[in-house]
Amino acid sequence: MTNAIEIRGVRKTFGPKVAVENLDLNVPEGSLYGFIGPNGAGKSTTIRMIMSIIFPDQGDLRVLGKSSAVESKDRIGYLPEERGVYKKMKVGVFLNYIARLKGIDAATADKRVKEWLVRVGLQETYRKKCEELSKGMQQKVQFITSVIHEPDLLILDEVFTGLDPVNRRLMRELIQEQNDRGATIIFSTHAMREAEELCDNIFMIHKGEKVIDSSLEEVWRKYDPKTMIVEPLDRADLGQAWGSLPGAREASEKDGAIQISLRDGANIGELMRQAAALAPVRRLEVQRASLEDIFISIVGAGGGETAEQLRMELAAGKGSTTEELAEVSRG
Amino acid sequence: MGKVFIIAVREFLAIVATKAFILGLLLPPAIMTILMFALPLLMNKKPPTVYGHIALIDQSGKVTPRLVDAYDPAKQQERKEQRDKAIKDQMAAGMKSMGVDDKMAGEIKKQMDANPATAQAANIVAETNLILQVLPPETPVDEARQAILKATGREKAEDGHASRLALLVIPKNAVDSDKEESGQPKFGAFQLLTAPRLNVEVQSDIRDQARKAIVDTRLADAGQNIDRIRAIMARPEVEEKAVTASGDSKINAAAKMLVPGAFMFLLWISVFSSGQYLLMSTIEEKSSRVMEVLLSAVSPLQLMLGKIIGKGAVGLLILALFSSAGVAALIFFAMAELIAWENLVLLFVYFLIAYVVVACLMASIGAAVNDINEAQSLMTPVMLILVVPMMLWFPILNNPNSTFAVVCSFVPLINPFVMVLRICGSEAIPMWQIPVSILVGLVTVVFMCWASAKIFRIGVLMYGKPPNFTTLIKWIRMA
Repeated sequence: MTNAIEIRGVRKTFGPKVAVENLDLNVPEGSLYGFIGPNGAGKSTTIRMIMSIIFPDQGDLRVLGKSSAVESKDRIGYLPEERGVYKKMKVGVFLNYIARLKGIDAATADKRVKEWLVRVGLQETYRKKCEELSKGMQQKVQFITSVIHEPDLLILDEVFTGLDPVNRRLMRELIQEQNDRGATIIFSTHAMREAEELCDNIFMIHKGEKVIDSSLEEVWRKYDPKTMIVEPLDRADLGQAWGSLPGAREASEKDGAIQISLRDGANIGELMRQAAALAPVRRLEVQRASLEDIFISIVGAGGGETAEQLRMELAAGKGSTTEELAEVSRG
Repeated sequence: MGKVFIIAVREFLAIVATKAFILGLLLPPAIMTILMFALPLLMNKKPPTVYGHIALIDQSGKVTPRLVDAYDPAKQQERKEQRDKAIKDQMAAGMKSMGVDDKMAGEIKKQMDANPATAQAANIVAETNLILQVLPPETPVDEARQAILKATGREKAEDGHASRLALLVIPKNAVDSDKEESGQPKFGAFQLLTAPRLNVEVQSDIRDQARKAIVDTRLADAGQNIDRIRAIMARPEVEEKAVTASGDSKINAAAKMLVPGAFMFLLWISVFSSGQYLLMSTIEEKSSRVMEVLLSAVSPLQLMLGKIIGKGAVGLLILALFSSAGVAALIFFAMAELIAWENLVLLFVYFLIAYVVVACLMASIGAAVNDINEAQSLMTPVMLILVVPMMLWFPILNNPNSTFAVVCSFVPLINPFVMVLRICGSEAIPMWQIPVSILVGLVTVVFMCWASAKIFRIGVLMYGKPPNFTTLIKWIRMA
């Protein structure tokens, strides 16, 4: 399988600040890559280098088989993090303009613009000025600018920011559609939930260096489940000896359920059978580490920031992470 | 190149296809037209006839017959017509001094007379119906002046009641001198007492008629032929012409100063307004964050080129519209000889040089800052340099070949403006200076493009603290 993007030993500095250090990355064609990392980790810098908007100080970078994105700009769709619209321009005119800049002829451009506006439910805005649109609507218009030319490579920087849950779902569908069409997709996000649901692969950088680059499956395998939750049918069973089950380190009660923290290498299947045997249960679930937990454990361990601070940062910056974390039952 | 063109078209239309731009271009001529038609209508109202008495106390006893004659109704009408004619002659002379030839002046006059509004407008001289009231010479002045206090100045002939509007007192020594000064007779003054709101024209008419009557009386007393002396004293007419190679020109010096100045100003306005548009649109793209969306489709250099070309087209449009209006006006006033046609071509060449340099500066500044306020501080030095040609207008026009003017012709940034002043001026400049100044301009253009492309590429993605000039220079070195 050929790679849509190949990055070898790339380094980029801005004055004394090292933005990206010794970065290697292969993004195979047709894959859906989640690109995560805290603020200032170097995500946007990396993406801008991929887009040839800025150039690396050292290292090699190949995009769609070319040494620079400039040569294949019309095959790449890019939704930058810093994005906007011409306030005074009409939505239809704006989208047509961008489409023309992406190398589509005038007739096709207008046809596609209209189709896309219908697809995202904004058909009535064709003649409206961009400034009359709400932020979420503008966001969708901007998304159209990145896919209007049916790119082979789609790079989306913080695509879920500012969207309500309904539109976030729509956006996930749209991204999935693009991927099904065969486009390679990289999206950077703080929204771990979206990353978990969408990506095949995760790429995480922290302080300009790569910390994770693997498939989501591998990430789950590597970051083993650490907690099991048991909710007995009868509250009286809360007092059972849950802590002495095989593989359990200790058990504590929380909100009418028992949380059992597990030893490394515990046999989860055996543990679940034993737990079910101990008392009739309403809910029995192995809590998988969420991407957010993994993210925080990595970032928190390496940096001076405490995990709690990071969690606050994530919550403040990106609405989606305030949602309930994913719970997967393996019962 | 296709993408650059698409950007240029958008940049051009974003300015030209707005109500503000169209209004800005159309409004000044529209206002002129409205004024041309509305003013005569406003002035259409005929001034009221001034009606009343002028009392005369002629202590010399010699002036009365001449004044009685002067205020004969037929003579009053005659004088009014003369004043009308004088005003029209003055207007004609004014047009002549601007270079309108007799044929065209006649044409304009015919048109003005044909139009009732303009014909009426020329009729601004008040009609008079004044009656001279001769009082006995021994009448006390204090008593005679009491009647003036009753005058309102608005009496009408049909009311049958006339007020005393003025009182003329001519003492004996105003006509017969009673003393001498260095061998020549010295005459006394006369008095003119008027109602406070007497029409200014009527007032000066009374004054003039009294003076004329007194002088005529003196001349008659001295046994002189009055008409002959008046003919001798008439002021000679002057006929001015400038000597040029293609024959004598009637055009005056003021117009010669004005035309180069006007073309320089035109150049300045078009360069500056299009530069300003470029600055604003770059800042808009940056502050609305549409910049990186554009950069996902085109390279920073393509974007900058497209913007410069698009806004340059706006500047060219402004220049073409106004300069063709100016040329049309000069042709209309038969002053087309003031323009050398090859200079118009040079005007456009210098426009391109001046514009690209200013545009590069504006694009760099626009790309470097986050909003218009931050742009102000970077704009100040640029503005300071650009007002220099404005201040140099007079010194350079007065002496287009001075060392100072020649040196300014080769100073980057200001040289297009200086050269336009000099080539449009009255004195021919050495031919070699034109290609050399263009060369200097082109070198500046190349340098500015190179430097601003670097600043633009870095600046467009920089947010946060606005850079100063040192930072900009660092960016040029860095990229």
